[in-house]
Amino acid sequence: MDAFAGRWPGTTRSSSSMRRNPAAPWRHVDLIMLGSIVAIAIIGTLMVFSATRGSDPDSVNTGTLERHVVFLLTGGTTMVLVSMVDYRKFREWALIAYIGVCALLVGVVSPLGTEVNGAQAWFQIGGFQLQPSELSKVAVILVLASLGAQFGGDVDVRRLGVLLAVPAVPLILIILQPDPGTAMVIVAITMGVLLVSNVRAKHIAALTLLGLTGLVFVLNSGLLEDYQKSRLTVFLNPSAGLREEAYNLNQSKIAIGSGGILGKGIFEGTQTQLDIVPEQHTDFIFTAVGEELGFIGAATLLVLFGILCWRIWRIAQLSRDQLGLLLCVGVLSMIVFQMFQNTGMTMGIMPITGIPLPLVSHGGSSTIALFAGLGLVQNVHMRRFS
Amino acid sequence: MTNADSPRYRLAVLAVVVLALFAALFARLWYLQVLTSDTFELQAESNRIRPVQVEAPRGRILDRNGTVLVDNRVSTVVTVDRVIFNALDDDDAAAMLNRLADEMSRYGSPATVEQLVDRVNDVRYSQYAPVPVAEDVTEELKIYVEEHRDEFPSVAVERTAVRRYAYGTRGAHLIGYVGEINDTELEDRADKPKTYERGDHIGKTGVERIYEDDLRGTPGRTVYEVDAQGRPVRILEDLSRPPIPGDDVWLTVDITTQSIAEDLLKDALDAARNRPPSGDNLPNEAPGGSVVVTDPQDGSVLAMASYPTYDPSDFVNGISSARYAFLADEDGPRPLNNRAIQGQYAPGSTFKLISGYAALASGLREADTPYFDTGSHTLENCEGQCTFRNAGSKAYGTVDLQRSITVSSDAYFYSIGEDFWNARGRLGEEAFQESARLFGFDQETGVPLPSEQDGRIPTPEQRKVQYDANPGAFLERNWFTGDNVNMAIGQGDVAVTPLQLANAYATFANGGTRYAPNIATKITRAGSENTVKRTFEPRINGNIDLPAEWRDPLLQGLLGVTASGSGTAFGTFQGFPLNEFPVAGKTGTAQVNGKADTAVFAAFGPVPDPRYQVAVILEESGFGGTAAAPVARKLFDQFAGIAQPPELQPGGELVYPVEAEDEPTQEDLARVGSAD
Repeated sequence: MDAFAGRWPGTTRSSSSMRRNPAAPWRHVDLIMLGSIVAIAIIGTLMVFSATRGSDPDSVNTGTLERHVVFLLTGGTTMVLVSMVDYRKFREWALIAYIGVCALLVGVVSPLGTEVNGAQAWFQIGGFQLQPSELSKVAVILVLASLGAQFGGDVDVRRLGVLLAVPAVPLILIILQPDPGTAMVIVAITMGVLLVSNVRAKHIAALTLLGLTGLVFVLNSGLLEDYQKSRLTVFLNPSAGLREEAYNLNQSKIAIGSGGILGKGIFEGTQTQLDIVPEQHTDFIFTAVGEELGFIGAATLLVLFGILCWRIWRIAQLSRDQLGLLLCVGVLSMIVFQMFQNTGMTMGIMPITGIPLPLVSHGGSSTIALFAGLGLVQNVHMRRFS
Repeated sequence: MTNADSPRYRLAVLAVVVLALFAALFARLWYLQVLTSDTFELQAESNRIRPVQVEAPRGRILDRNGTVLVDNRVSTVVTVDRVIFNALDDDDAAAMLNRLADEMSRYGSPATVEQLVDRVNDVRYSQYAPVPVAEDVTEELKIYVEEHRDEFPSVAVERTAVRRYAYGTRGAHLIGYVGEINDTELEDRADKPKTYERGDHIGKTGVERIYEDDLRGTPGRTVYEVDAQGRPVRILEDLSRPPIPGDDVWLTVDITTQSIAEDLLKDALDAARNRPPSGDNLPNEAPGGSVVVTDPQDGSVLAMASYPTYDPSDFVNGISSARYAFLADEDGPRPLNNRAIQGQYAPGSTFKLISGYAALASGLREADTPYFDTGSHTLENCEGQCTFRNAGSKAYGTVDLQRSITVSSDAYFYSIGEDFWNARGRLGEEAFQESARLFGFDQETGVPLPSEQDGRIPTPEQRKVQYDANPGAFLERNWFTGDNVNMAIGQGDVAVTPLQLANAYATFANGGTRYAPNIATKITRAGSENTVKRTFEPRINGNIDLPAEWRDPLLQGLLGVTASGSGTAFGTFQGFPLNEFPVAGKTGTAQVNGKADTAVFAAFGPVPDPRYQVAVILEESGFGGTAAAPVARKLFDQFAGIAQPPELQPGGELVYPVEAEDEPTQEDLARVGSAD
């Protein structure tokens, strides 16, 4: 820290005010990351509005837009709150958060939960639906990162077992809902953290094999409804899926494809404005981007995600400890997987699953969980010198 | 810790994985939005667009004075889509119809389930087009059904433009009716610039059919943008085009004259039915008849009445099977028949004008050559039935052409028929028939109406052909003098339509120009009565020689019919100002095997420049002078301006000014009828 002192002539070392402390966390906010988050959220807000404003030019529907802005503000506040507490303190809270989330997950599959679209994944609280599986992603990241940091670079089979047991509990509860999409995110987070936690390469290979076997088992078990299986496999052969799923996928591709290079213009996309693409403001929001903003807009969005991922990856590298590193990797895995899975789904190269596009899709629980994760990453960056 | 196990190395692996995923997304995005975008654009376009053909309002039909006879109104119709309906299970379908009937009754359009079921099962309606089950229902019902759409699968309530007949059944045969296009018509009209599609309306008969190409509007196209459920969201104005209403047709007909003629026709038939038959004649059934009024100077049809008539509004929104079966029944009264052009009747003595002309024109007889009428005429060189009697064997003494027309001496004309046959070596076998054809008989008049009949002027040649084709059905193969004799008084196989009769007399009346009757004067553009699309000029079908030395005796004979004390319509025209408005006419009473006589009267006036030609033919109604002539007299009362014109009410009723003593009583009419 002394190295920085000379850069501010006139400042005295005796000054202990935050403003003058070059190691103060607020001085090390990653503005590029913040900028990419804001940019993505603005595009997202615009597209959510476009997808939900309704087709009646005389009475524009702004209800969803308003909710979306509220979610973003709540998320932003969460992010700020999360980044204000030293991330190392979260190690102590990780277990409590984890147990709390698991309790919620048990509760949601009990009669207390509400079933929507065939998955019992929500608590109806007034006008707001709480989706515990979204929160469980952050809890799993916290616990895995804490344990990984505790184990240092030494992960033997027993410790590996512990690292696998942690996500397994919420994973099973989520599959029971069933919500295969979020389950896949949990798997992706686990694999990312395990990869960077120095789990041995042969273990990772074995786990991958095991995961694929598990996937085949789940697909062939009675756990998933036919429509869910169809959603998962329709992208491989669109003509073989259930009619509705094939229709959705087809309309999704038409929306993106018809956008062309320049797009049809904001509010001008016919697939978007006429509600032809289903679930467009949530899981299929990328189709609105593709149709109305075209290749230029969709590619810009992907580039912004690229910048965000680069910054998180960079913060992981810069982290002063293993905990910060693993937190960043967990969040990175979550965002990359969700983004890839979501946009890939709308373009027909990934299965159809109910996974939101981070920072863009409309959804309260997911937005708040995501901002909490981003707060953790920012936290790591802010405290890399303290 | 090996290098491969360092966090830095593992992070690099992670970065590679992430970069690979991004690369995959960019590649896919490029493929969809740049390489194959065209096909998706097309699909997106067809996703959102539903073009719907909008039938244009039909043109109006106006009378010669611009009175609107037919225009359009909006009708709210309940329809059932049978494709959907038949897919319902029986209980649901029955329950739904029950409910529908209840709601219809509740919202002011009473209906029973039976009515609905009958309509739904009516095979006359296309399987694929929705069946109209109730017409002109209330707006409340429409709102109710639309708000409860889910509870009435297959049911729709829609507004359609239908024909409105301002004067009810007036001019029904002339105007015709409109119905849904059938497969044949659809095929025939595939190349028309104004396109048709199933469910469209098309003129089926009359003016509606003949001027279909003018009356039909140019269909518009509404292009809807629809949402994922196919519900219209908005109309795409730049792709849509409004329907263009059809053009208006102006008739030659005067609707008041038409209405008067129709009422007189009906009254005359009613009167004939109530009149006891004279002597051993059969009772008058008077089932139908026709009155035609034309303008002899240009062939315009001023009125064309046919009885019995029908209500063209029965066809609006689709006619019921039972109603149509009645209207079209070949053995019934056949109200759809336009007797003015489809009825074929023996003209009786009205044909004597033609016989007289033929005799003069062929040089067989001079007009003033006397003939001694003893009440009958016996053929020379004849075997078998050789004596032909006057009606009632009445003897008129010495007559010439003029007088024989006035008193209607059959014997005189029998002798003309005989002379023609005797002179066949010099004049040819068909000299008489040729004269009749000059007056337009034995052929269509050319009136622009569908299904016009030719009538018939029999010839020796025709008889041979008919006999040879079907020997059992005819008594004789040969033509005899007696056939000419019968023809000379409009009997035998002679048959004319009322319009042919009117047109023949009109040809004589105007000095020899035979016009093809017109029923329309002009077509004007929709919404602009002053923008004339085309006009219909008089069409001349032929001319006949009519020098004064032929014309005068014939005309004087016809004038005598109404004006001379011995004229056959003298009584009928008593009190008529013949000095100011001379009317020339001829009565006819045609015998029909096994039925009462056909009453015929043809007249024109005012001579010498007649503007009105009237022909009246009443089936099974007795004497022409008694039954038919009074109809013409009352029309001429209007034309001459001696009777107050009636007021035509909306709906078609005529209201006459109160003028009681002018009306001749039934007894008066019976008394004035004279032998014919």
